[in-house]
Amino acid sequence: MVRRTLVILAVSALAAAGQLQLRAEPAPGANLARGNVVSLPQFAAAAEANAADGRALLDRYCVACHNERTRTADLTLDSMDLSQVGDAAAAWEHVVRRLRAGEMPPAGRPRPDVETAHAFVSWLETELDRAALAAPDPGRSAVHRLNRVEYANAVRDLFGLEIDANALLPADDEHHGFDNIAEVLSVSPTLIDRYLAAAQRISQLVVGDAALRPVAHTYPVHGGMNQDGAVSLDLPLGSRGGVAIEHHFPVAGEYIIRVSLRKQEYGYVRGMGQPHLMDVRLDGARVGTFTVGREWEDGQLPPMGYAGKFDQVYDSRSFPEWELYALNADRGLDVRVPVSGGRHRVGVAFERQSALPEGLLPLPADRSTYSHGQDEMQDGNPAVSVVQIIGPYDPDGTADLATRDALFTCAPAGADAAAGRACAETILSGLARRAFRRPATGADVDTLLDFYEMGRAEGGFQSGIQAAVERLLVDPEFLFRIEADPAGAAPGTAYRISDIELASRLSFFLWSSIPDDELLGLAERGELSDPGVLDGQVRRMLADPRSRALVENFAGQWLQLRKLRNAAPDTATYTAFDENLREAMWQETELFLEGQLRDDRPLLDMLRADHTFVNERLARHYGIPDVHGVHFRRVDYPDESRGGLLGHASILTITSYANRTSPVVRGVWLLENFLGTPPSPPPPDVPSLPTAGEDGAPRSVRERLEQHRANAVCATCHNVIDPLGFALESFDAIGRWRATNEGGTPYDTGIPIDASGTLVDGTEVHGLAGLRDVILDREEQFVETVAEKMLTYALGRTLEHYDMPVVRQISRESAADDITWSSLVSGIVKSTPFLMRRAES
Amino acid sequence: MIITKKAIPRRTVLRGVGATLALPLLDGMVPAATALAKTAAKSPLRFGTVYVPNGIIMERWTPLAEGREFELPPSLKALEPFRDRLLVVSGLDNTGARSRSGASGAHAKPAGAFLTGIEPLPTTGSSSLQLGISMDQILANEVGQDTPLPSLELGLEGADTVNGVGTCDVGFSCAYQNRLAWAGPSTPLPVETNPRVVFDRLFGNVDSTDPAVRAARLRRQGSILDSVLEKVDRLQGGLGTRDRAKLDEYLQSVREIERRIQNAESQGRELPVVESPAGIPVSYDEHARLMFDMQALAFQTDTTRVITFQIGREQSGATYPQIGVSDSHHPISHHGGDRNKIESLAKINAYHVSLFAYFLERLASMPDGDDGTVLDNVVTLYGSAISEGNSHDVRNLPLLLAGGGGGRIASGRHVKYPDETQRLTNLQLTLLNTLGVPIDKFGDSTGERLTELSELSRTTDG
Repeated sequence: MVRRTLVILAVSALAAAGQLQLRAEPAPGANLARGNVVSLPQFAAAAEANAADGRALLDRYCVACHNERTRTADLTLDSMDLSQVGDAAAAWEHVVRRLRAGEMPPAGRPRPDVETAHAFVSWLETELDRAALAAPDPGRSAVHRLNRVEYANAVRDLFGLEIDANALLPADDEHHGFDNIAEVLSVSPTLIDRYLAAAQRISQLVVGDAALRPVAHTYPVHGGMNQDGAVSLDLPLGSRGGVAIEHHFPVAGEYIIRVSLRKQEYGYVRGMGQPHLMDVRLDGARVGTFTVGREWEDGQLPPMGYAGKFDQVYDSRSFPEWELYALNADRGLDVRVPVSGGRHRVGVAFERQSALPEGLLPLPADRSTYSHGQDEMQDGNPAVSVVQIIGPYDPDGTADLATRDALFTCAPAGADAAAGRACAETILSGLARRAFRRPATGADVDTLLDFYEMGRAEGGFQSGIQAAVERLLVDPEFLFRIEADPAGAAPGTAYRISDIELASRLSFFLWSSIPDDELLGLAERGELSDPGVLDGQVRRMLADPRSRALVENFAGQWLQLRKLRNAAPDTATYTAFDENLREAMWQETELFLEGQLRDDRPLLDMLRADHTFVNERLARHYGIPDVHGVHFRRVDYPDESRGGLLGHASILTITSYANRTSPVVRGVWLLENFLGTPPSPPPPDVPSLPTAGEDGAPRSVRERLEQHRANAVCATCHNVIDPLGFALESFDAIGRWRATNEGGTPYDTGIPIDASGTLVDGTEVHGLAGLRDVILDREEQFVETVAEKMLTYALGRTLEHYDMPVVRQISRESAADDITWSSLVSGIVKSTPFLMRRAES
Repeated sequence: MIITKKAIPRRTVLRGVGATLALPLLDGMVPAATALAKTAAKSPLRFGTVYVPNGIIMERWTPLAEGREFELPPSLKALEPFRDRLLVVSGLDNTGARSRSGASGAHAKPAGAFLTGIEPLPTTGSSSLQLGISMDQILANEVGQDTPLPSLELGLEGADTVNGVGTCDVGFSCAYQNRLAWAGPSTPLPVETNPRVVFDRLFGNVDSTDPAVRAARLRRQGSILDSVLEKVDRLQGGLGTRDRAKLDEYLQSVREIERRIQNAESQGRELPVVESPAGIPVSYDEHARLMFDMQALAFQTDTTRVITFQIGREQSGATYPQIGVSDSHHPISHHGGDRNKIESLAKINAYHVSLFAYFLERLASMPDGDDGTVLDNVVTLYGSAISEGNSHDVRNLPLLLAGGGGGRIASGRHVKYPDETQRLTNLQLTLLNTLGVPIDKFGDSTGERLTELSELSRTTDG
């Protein structure tokens, strides 16, 4: 195993150097390798010896700055006792992190060799772990507001209703890269306002309120979405362009589907030089057909590049008929149809014309130019720009509605008030239990029944339930996860959380949602904390489709994938980038990660996988032949130029600037997310460097960074950062393979790419495969980093120094199980901070 | 008081494009029973902040001459029609952003300090948000009681928009850069980017403007909040102090909303019949103008008197292909003296100012009070928390005040303070006093008032 070898190498190197003698003689390297169980007497002997050697190392390399007098960075390494690291665990964890990052001692100061430093850090960690084991601190998580993803999922699981939470609630702040951290999930009047509005809207949707008035829902299609080919599997085979929409129709009634077409900047609809057939479909069935564009006689069409001269005369000609037509071509593209309440698929697409060449037409050279913006593209294809769904008109509040049927588990047995109330009580107590994630009390139900009565007086049974649901959705016990210290818990002591609290911790961790009936039932019966039961639940929950939340919310945020949504590659430099590609990049990484999770692969497969998922668009981007169509399929890479996550265009794009790659951004991303040693922020007032083109200026990003590292202040960190980033230089800013520098100005130099770098310890890295091996060599560090990120996410709080031994323990124990996803998850679930809480002191 | 129940008899459609924005905002659309009407003799004073990120190319911003005879430099050219409503203030330092903690935070600090005058602190084990109340919220606490919404916090970049939240300074919460308005040390107020949602907040989440429907809605919300307040009281008993504080935050927020609802009920506001915008427009330009339209509407109807608006979050990486700048804003702000980058930045600066000019134009077209316009009764602070983005310089900030300030601002001038002699917080303290908040200290202000900017000096200044 790679890491074992490394440690052994490290230890023998140390022994040879005579700096850290191994006094006791356990198995070689056992006292440094975390994976081994070492009996205590042996360990103590070794620890004693190493404390003295550690002291010598600190005295030699560190205390010149970090002492009682100068207190640099508030560290007094001269007086801190290495034989009692538990007394200053926070400070020592800080030392561990800075040393692992290779940032200390700073450049220009004498340093111990890498092996010595590594052995010292390992020893320090072992000592810290031992101290933590003696006095575990599970930490104390704060009251936790549901973030908007959790809110939406809770609504989905309570009512079977998919809502667009982004439209209903404001975005949550992120912290440590995650948006589920209790400390920063604050509450403001604005938020309460939005909760009230959301509760009203959702409760109306759930019961299918017939009083709903027509509202327009707008589905814009991004202007950068190429519609010259098929865009979705949800549209008819052989169709071109358009959009497929999943829309929730709140109640049975008539709705208008209105289509607008893409226009050039002055409002002329594009692609109107010949007729095109456009279909509107509801759940796959055609509900409307339109012909847009028309045949023109000689002289009626303006010349190419006409660019909208309005009523002016162009070359002594004018085109009044064209003007009138092209400016108004998408008026009245309305279909009014009766729709039953619930979720339906609306599709709009064009018929592909066989006379035109098949496949994707080339993209225009630069979509950001003025002339492109003005082009009417008469001979091109029209495209959809917006679909609006407006309604309901003449709603029928009595027609079947899935959400209502699921909610109304009983019907009033008679018309009298008592019968209605009895049924309402049944419905509402069930709802309160699920929404509050605990057995419902009499007080819960009474409160909801008050609102039921209020609503019933206004509009009958259905309105009563609607009012109670509205009240439920702003209840603090729905909106917050509240854990209370048990009566009699001694201040500051650790106690085991209740099964009910554990159920919520589990479901919010694995599903980003509320517990389901089974989980809650086990908790109510006090069976959940039984290790066998808990294990079974974790396995069941991971197998459930809801665990996709781990991919979307944990992996998506850990890898910063959400940035892809906002990435804006410069379309002048990267003409190949369009929304279809953005969408494909996103899909690839999600499918890949979901596959890893579902197949319970080892974490390291994220780096080593020799396969990925592509559709035609992405395959073309990667140069993978023979992939056709919009659907994604698994493909094996033909060679080692790509492999694992590091070759995903999504990640290569979010770690680039708009018009060039950035080895620095990529290096920092790797350090932060894969190696767990984010570099310190740059000092203020970094001097500017000459830009390409000036005398003596660098010709490439690489040269530029080399000049940068000549500065000692910069070098400390950039010697660590840059080489990692260089290894990915063969991929451009949108993740395409490249052989020469071809980024935007001023780096468009055409000089060959050099994808190599030298790490601080002298290791040569070349290309993606080399980088992958470097990370695999640091397997332990990689696994710990993933564990640290996942523990942060699972607990929804900032990790403290006392959590670090837990992180190391989780990653250590997962090693016994091939470091699979499930071993990591179950390690977290069984950890002290997940199962316990510290009482308030 | 006479409340006219007559709504404008046409559905006015907000389409989002400046030119087709068919919202004439006739005098008759002003709600009849607002505080504005109550104080017919004197229109209320409103305060806005418009924030631009990443600093400014100062050579294209600062007028050469001081006093009244100054020429607008290229980046401010678009404001020419409103010259006599401008007060360009040069030489103020964002001293709150100066580092005392020793941590870096080159963007987090200036942005966090911009409206608070306090240095944002990096994340520590126990807390990640440590700032203080911002000047707009001090004002909102004072004057917000009179309007349906105490304040509005808006922006063009949020997690939901194209440029979204991106990078933040290492070690600092993103909130320092994503938010300007702070209700308290750990309560940044969320920024709304969707004009449709802003519309709902201005006019209530009612599909109908029918007064009866609206009244029923308000009653329902009132009962919900009453019931929730009771429950929080019960819950808090068994909790620790930190958890109690969190629920207290919730409690205060609920009370605030309850108060607003009571206000709205007692006022029985007549609403203009306006259709809600569809959502966030695809075009940046349209989005910006629509958000300015919403602000103008909010001021005109006296729905709020305090607005903060972030054209961009600090360290924004927006690109502006529509004006020929396809490089990302933040990286080019570190121009290192490169002429092309400086040129691009100046273009962005001028573009933002031109959008602001559109806002002033809207305000100037809205009658307010007896014979004035809304612009006469507004003070808008436009500027950046950083002057030279290349070095994150927080001295000599680019700032200007626009609007008549109800005659309390001596506008039509350029006032320049000598280098490193005067603080932004002293301006803000002066403004707060001018706007009717009688306090003596704000952020790191020295307590000195910049009286030469207000009406006090109008006579002496000529």
